[in-house]
Amino acid sequence: MGIFFEQLLNGLTIGSFYALVALGYSMVYGVMKLINFAHGDLFAFGSYVGYTILVWGSGRITQIFGIWGGMAVTLLITFIAVAMAGILVEKAAYRPVYPAGRLPLVVSALGMSIFIQNGIMAVWGPRFQAYPSEVVPSAAFDFFGIHITLLKVFILFFSFFLMAVIYYVVEKTTFGAAVRAAALDRETATMLGIDIRKVIFFVFALGPALGGMAGVMNGMYYRSIQFNMGWNYGLKAFTATILGGIGNIPGAMIGGLLLGIMESLFAGYFPGGGAWKDGFIFIVLILVLIWRPTGLIGEKIAEKV
Amino acid sequence: MDLTHIFQQRIHNSQVSNDSHKPQRSPIIQKWFSGLIVLLFLLLPFFPFMNDYWIDVAFFVGIYALLGLSLNIVLGEVGLFDLGHTAFYAIGAYTTAILNTQFNIPILLLLPLSAIMAGAFAYLVMSPVIHLRGDYLCIVTIGIGEIVRIIIVNNPWGLTNGPNGITGIGVPQIGPLMILSSTHFYYLIWGLIALAIIALIRLQRSRIGRAWNYIREDAIAAELNGIDVRSYKLLAFVLGAAIAGITGNVYASKMMIISPDSFLFMESALLFCIVLLGGLGSVPGTLFGAAVIVVFPEIFRQFASFRLLFFGAALMVMMIFRPGGILPRRRGHVGLEGLGIRNLPQPDEILVQNGQNRVQNLRASLPKITNPDSSAILETKRITLHFGGLTAVNLFDLHVKPKKITSLIGPNGAGKTTLFNIITGIYRPSQGQVFFQNKEITGLKPHQIVQKGIARTFQNIRLFPNMTCLENVMSGPHCHARTNYWSAILRTPTQYQEEKTIVEISSHRLHQVGLWEYRNELARNLPYGKQRYLEIARALATSPQLLILDEPSSGLNDKESEDLMELLQSLISEGFTILLIEHDMNVVMGVSDWIAVMDMGSKIAEGVPADIYNHPVVIEAYLGKEEE
Repeated sequence: MGIFFEQLLNGLTIGSFYALVALGYSMVYGVMKLINFAHGDLFAFGSYVGYTILVWGSGRITQIFGIWGGMAVTLLITFIAVAMAGILVEKAAYRPVYPAGRLPLVVSALGMSIFIQNGIMAVWGPRFQAYPSEVVPSAAFDFFGIHITLLKVFILFFSFFLMAVIYYVVEKTTFGAAVRAAALDRETATMLGIDIRKVIFFVFALGPALGGMAGVMNGMYYRSIQFNMGWNYGLKAFTATILGGIGNIPGAMIGGLLLGIMESLFAGYFPGGGAWKDGFIFIVLILVLIWRPTGLIGEKIAEKV
Repeated sequence: MDLTHIFQQRIHNSQVSNDSHKPQRSPIIQKWFSGLIVLLFLLLPFFPFMNDYWIDVAFFVGIYALLGLSLNIVLGEVGLFDLGHTAFYAIGAYTTAILNTQFNIPILLLLPLSAIMAGAFAYLVMSPVIHLRGDYLCIVTIGIGEIVRIIIVNNPWGLTNGPNGITGIGVPQIGPLMILSSTHFYYLIWGLIALAIIALIRLQRSRIGRAWNYIREDAIAAELNGIDVRSYKLLAFVLGAAIAGITGNVYASKMMIISPDSFLFMESALLFCIVLLGGLGSVPGTLFGAAVIVVFPEIFRQFASFRLLFFGAALMVMMIFRPGGILPRRRGHVGLEGLGIRNLPQPDEILVQNGQNRVQNLRASLPKITNPDSSAILETKRITLHFGGLTAVNLFDLHVKPKKITSLIGPNGAGKTTLFNIITGIYRPSQGQVFFQNKEITGLKPHQIVQKGIARTFQNIRLFPNMTCLENVMSGPHCHARTNYWSAILRTPTQYQEEKTIVEISSHRLHQVGLWEYRNELARNLPYGKQRYLEIARALATSPQLLILDEPSSGLNDKESEDLMELLQSLISEGFTILLIEHDMNVVMGVSDWIAVMDMGSKIAEGVPADIYNHPVVIEAYLGKEEE
């Protein structure tokens, strides 16, 4: 039973990374109807920004603010940096292509993904980089025989806090209503006086920034990062988005968490599961889509004729 | 309307630029030009600057070109997002590698086998998910690509040798000739490309290719005009996969070693880019796109680690400046030659005449309805449909008498269109049955119902906007045609006869509704009223017994409404039966033989027009109850 809960906890932790990245995917998809393939690479970018801040002056930030304070500062700076990167990506690669329709946008997004990935490689090099151990909190406690690190607790709490904030903003505020309206029908929303540029600015700043922070936490959790890590997370997050129902904010969160839990339970219990887990995830996804073509929480929309 | 649909339209609007009708070079120059290009390809290895290295580059351009062409069937012709095409390529390559190294089966024999394996695999994995729309299908294809790669990496039963891959794959042998050198492989791959292009172009210019395009333009409208959308989507996947499988075979024998690293997601993404860079659906564009993708990194080889950075940027810049691709597909010719059907009789008007004769012969051969008054051609029994807690249609009985006009009227939201959707097979009723010519049709798929003889139009017009008016109408006879893709590729005489029949019947129907002069105009360029007529022509072209029209007069002015009434009357005298939803009371009262009134999903009255006109219940439904 102890192993089960440990796996569950691991799954929740990974799942909260997926969920945070998926949130951004879903928000961008909602407004742009774009599969933002560069989203996963912005996550990797965030991870590298965090890494750079933490290793700066051999851990100066940690020395000044303490281990938890340093982490907070790092997350904050990463948030800002990745938000700006997200806005830049939208301005450079998506806005000029948007009028041409969906397929060119997909190619542009793929191009952006390749660009960011190789940009990271050009700056930080192709090899693994390690988050230094002295900047990552290592405190841990045992709870009914389950070994729990404080970092894990922090990641879970912070991720859930972020998700709650996003949920509140999107579902309960006026501006959130504008975002949802833009997602439902961009043209009508524009005609009703919603400033679509603000909405786009919002989703392209916040979405990648959330992913970027997940990237920092991911770096702390696994300790090692690589330039092409974004692709895998991007794909998982996209899968989570679809699993939950694309464009659906709570769906993305639940999809992400579910994905993480399934993945780590499968890897833990299935012999040789580690190597097959990605395949397993996709099979689950396909089965879910056969059963519910618009995702778990996606509304069952009858085609209008 | 779902968003995918709107956006797909938007793509085409932007892609099919206004010069899509611009005539290309004259046929003779065109022939010379094509000949010159073929000659260039044949002589390429002998040019002085070509060494083995560049011949190999040309070979890899060929590999990507063939893969691009295969993806183009799915993505360009049918408009399905396939980002996992590499899976099929991998299946072909591994089929070849495993069977060749373990059982010594000659490579050349494995060429068709690779195609079959890849095609069969595509059929198996795509059939359960082919109904998914847009991005849901996209993620599934990505997933399939990843699953195949993960399986290969995990080395099941020691077949694939895991991440190390399979080595020692043999080379193909044609008679005494071993295909070994770079030049040989160059000719092999480009020879295959030539065959693929011929097959692809012939498919494009047949009912198969048109069906694919109808689906791309509007899948629902296609299904409701008798096109088996599911099968045609699957066919596209299977054909695309088979060609990718063939490519895998050639690739494996050229490399002599294959490993999972050659089949990453990035490959699928590159193929996607090739098709888009070249121009959707365009054969020369795909070749060009492949050349760009392969040669670009070669040229920038000296920049080593920066070349992919450039490449990513180049993709974005390309999409900003040429979103439609480098060589977007154009209609080759103005006029009916654009259909690509050879030897159509000249002038075009003969087609109309021939079509009319055909339709009359067909009509004469049909069994006569002996007692038109007693029997109903269409009958619904206690049809009920719930949407969640809402009962949209409630125990509805409808009788449609043959060769008469029956109207279904009622206030907005009464459930009229829903009832039509049940009759035409879009919705399955929660309860009740639909009978057509005394046979139950409940639960049949829309295209099967069209085949049985029910055609319809839509309340909000659903044409195939980027196809010509004649092509739109040509979707009608499709459901009665029988020749398959093989006869289209081989251009059999039966296939030609069938194509000619399709054109003739469609020409006649287009002429009948007075749109003959617009035959080569794109449907989206027609004014609203004419689009309605085009829909009617398209429905008529399915040679239906029963024509269902959903608010045909909406958006028409008085004059046009009168013309419509005339057309309806003439259709009745031609022998059609008409079922009508209509709000324009002049039209309803003017043409109907029988009227059924629907409110809140139930039938509240029916009778001849004069009775309905003064029926208190009907007036109440429309205007509300009078205050006492």
